[in-house]
Amino acid sequence: MSPGQHIEVEDLVIRYGAVAAVGPVSFTVAAGQQLTLLGPSGCGKTTTLRAVAGLEKPSAGAIRIGGRTVYDGARGIDVPAEARGLSMVFQSYAIWPHMTVFENVAYGLRVRQKGAAEIRERVGAALDLVQMGPYADRHASQLSGGQQQRVALARACAFSPSVLLFDEPLSNLDAKLRGDMRIELRELQHRLGVTSLYVTHDLEEALAMSDKIVVMRAGQIEQSGPPSEIYNYPRTEFVADFVGSANLIQGRIRPDLTRGDAIALETPGGHLIHGSAHGRAVGDRPSFSVRTVHLKLTPQAPAHETNVWPVTVKRAIFLGDLTQVHVEWGGRELVVRQTGMQPWSEGQAASLSADPDHCILLEH
Amino acid sequence: MTALTDAPPLPMVAHRRHFPTQKVVGYAVAITAALCVLYPIYYLIQASLDVGDPNVRPPTAYGLDNYALLPNYWEVMLNTLVVAFAATAMAMVFGFLFAWILTRTNVPFRGTLEQLMAVPYYVTPLLGALAWNFLGAPESGFINQIWRALGGGGAIVDITGPVGIAWVMALFEGSVAFVMISAVMKSMDPSLEEASQILGGSRLRTMLKVTLPLVAPGVLGAALFVFAEMLGSFAAALVLGTPNRFYVITTAIYQLVSQYPPKLPLAAAMGVSLFVVMFAMLYAYRRVTRGRSYVTVTGKAFRPRPMDVGGLRWALFALCIAYVVLSVVLPIATLGYASVQRLAVALPSADNFTLEHYRTALSLNAVRQAIWNSLFLGVLTATIGVVVTGLLAWLIQRSRLAGRGMLEYIVMFPQAVPRLVFAFGMMWAWLVFPIPVYGTIWILLIAYLTVFLPLGVRAISGVLVQLDKSLEECGEVCGASWGQRLRTITMPLLKPGLFAAWLLIFVASVRELGASILLMGPDSKVLTPAIVEAFFSSSSELTAAMALIQTAFVGVAMLVFLAITRRYGRIGA
Repeated sequence: MSPGQHIEVEDLVIRYGAVAAVGPVSFTVAAGQQLTLLGPSGCGKTTTLRAVAGLEKPSAGAIRIGGRTVYDGARGIDVPAEARGLSMVFQSYAIWPHMTVFENVAYGLRVRQKGAAEIRERVGAALDLVQMGPYADRHASQLSGGQQQRVALARACAFSPSVLLFDEPLSNLDAKLRGDMRIELRELQHRLGVTSLYVTHDLEEALAMSDKIVVMRAGQIEQSGPPSEIYNYPRTEFVADFVGSANLIQGRIRPDLTRGDAIALETPGGHLIHGSAHGRAVGDRPSFSVRTVHLKLTPQAPAHETNVWPVTVKRAIFLGDLTQVHVEWGGRELVVRQTGMQPWSEGQAASLSADPDHCILLEH
Repeated sequence: MTALTDAPPLPMVAHRRHFPTQKVVGYAVAITAALCVLYPIYYLIQASLDVGDPNVRPPTAYGLDNYALLPNYWEVMLNTLVVAFAATAMAMVFGFLFAWILTRTNVPFRGTLEQLMAVPYYVTPLLGALAWNFLGAPESGFINQIWRALGGGGAIVDITGPVGIAWVMALFEGSVAFVMISAVMKSMDPSLEEASQILGGSRLRTMLKVTLPLVAPGVLGAALFVFAEMLGSFAAALVLGTPNRFYVITTAIYQLVSQYPPKLPLAAAMGVSLFVVMFAMLYAYRRVTRGRSYVTVTGKAFRPRPMDVGGLRWALFALCIAYVVLSVVLPIATLGYASVQRLAVALPSADNFTLEHYRTALSLNAVRQAIWNSLFLGVLTATIGVVVTGLLAWLIQRSRLAGRGMLEYIVMFPQAVPRLVFAFGMMWAWLVFPIPVYGTIWILLIAYLTVFLPLGVRAISGVLVQLDKSLEECGEVCGASWGQRLRTITMPLLKPGLFAAWLLIFVASVRELGASILLMGPDSKVLTPAIVEAFFSSSSELTAAMALIQTAFVGVAMLVFLAITRRYGRIGA
């Protein structure tokens, strides 16, 4: 596999008629890394990916792959998709039903007019890579969803592209298989050292597979950074809410009650909550985000006294791995998710606590 | 893995860069198609405004005088409306009834019946008209002969009047109405009705409040479409009406063009008026069927739970069979019966039977030439047509070329113009064209290719939209050029659809009447107009033999078509 090339997207704008679907957005993917565009459906992530592939014509901006400009609105450059030298795995896999698995994988090599021996060798290697070697002579219609997915991957890798694009490749698989493929894809990407741009609306997928995540909303970039930063330090309410479930707590800042690094917020219900500003300036509508799994519910109050409140359990919902408990907290409801066998019943009194490092001030 | 990582990076595909094949080919095909469609329309309109010396072209003076003369033909207009309304009403009754029976009841042999219901469409109105003329002509009709033999007086049926003509037209158009209405009924999600029943709505209430409003736009759309077709139909009125001077607008136009001296500007004005009305109907049809997209959007074919109608199911079965008998079996049997008699009568004596009409038909030079020309043109039209309409369908559905929305409208345009009227525009247009194609079979080829654009584009688009777009995009990303993608991905996947389109266009060309009758020259006769000529100038028994020979060609093509569609019924889904 050729060494990955970096991708630069600069002020990309995509318009349909008068409606701006995307942009302006800018981001870069470092060589050999994986960047994931994450967002709800309709946020413009797939459109952005397709613009990088050359399947969608942008209205303005620039796209460079490995330093080579493939699109530049101002200079009128628009290299057709077939000449961009990248590869893509489609959401529907797009396995050609009229060809065998071998012919599917060989396509990119045949287009590049490789010799028969080289094609055989490279297709064999690509199929082995996804453990589909024995299926070379099958037709696409004889493959299961997971197998088609692997063939699509082999086909995308076979001609050693320097950039791989993924358009929600796992969304058509069942949950179990999706989990396995997630790990396999990540390993493969590491082994091949290929630069990847990945699109998904699945949070876990994005967190598990990416070096960097770009969260998109309504055609704009909401936040970008490494997965842990996106998860632990959401910048806005949208990110806090979309990237895992979070409780959003508004109030007013009480500078007089600051304890060390922890700033204090007083809620309309009269509760005090200490949290981390994470170097952010306090806006005029300050609010904290607290992940549901970062709240602790215990029958007895813990020893420390910061961020400890007596609460009443309103209802508990058993989710399997987790139990989701809704508690009454200063005139509103907070959602707590925790593991453990502790049964909670309606009306039960308990103690709620939260580490101030997990209460993150949002930007506005 | 090692082979993969150690391999040197492949160079980018060598591209004949910056030669935009797709754009050049795309625009060339699009512009040619647009010219073929619009050029004759331009000349048709020009001719209709010509008030100068009829022997001089281009016109010496323009005016609306020809349109001012139209009210003199009020009787023709009235006839047209009566026939079109009556035929639409009958066709809609057939269509709705059979669609309901086959989608909503537990009628036996439903699958077979459903296929049979489409057959009348492939038996031409011309064949039906010739056959029903044998059956229902007031004097010589078999039914009336038998009636008199049984002691009756006069004629109990008269197929040559407006109702008779409408009947013959409705028999064939009924299957179009059936296909359209049953598509609407099938695509309706049965859970919509079930939801009403669960919430306590009675059967009747569900029918009135849920089923009808959901089906109504589709049914109205079908009615508009059928009515437009009826306004422009030609063959039945020509065969049944013309001999006793009963004219509708299309036969009147034909009369004005073919009489001596011809009244071409007046015919053009009539043609333009007819096409404006048809255009309005088809526009309304599109509006009705598009605006209410909530009816059928899922695109999934549902099979609603059929209603158990008890013993009535056999009566409904008989009704369906009766329709197929009246529209297919009886006409073909009648023509067969008539074609082997010296002089066709209902109850012939043994020595009346003969095969001489077939001998004549197959030995007459003119007829043989016509058969040969028709087959030659059919093969050529279908072959070129598939290439052109395939490209057009691709451009409309898949390309990112500017103006492709417009292209769709232009390509579908011939649908709104009766073929007779379109041919009239072509005749006028190609007379002044520097390349002498007029009077040769090449003008017929151009005419067929143009008027069957909508047929081919619709057939191929129907298959193309079912192909996942990313199958082609994947080829694009893999580095294949447009030509390579078409050759290695799109065409192989579309093969069954392309083949079906080839046969559809072939069949349509071989049985074409409206355009051919005006455009064929003495040395470029084709089969269908030759049959009509034979009907008017020689014996109707010979005509029957010729019509059956043609039906045999079409029948063979249809059987091949059925075999293929059944075999490849669901590929590439």
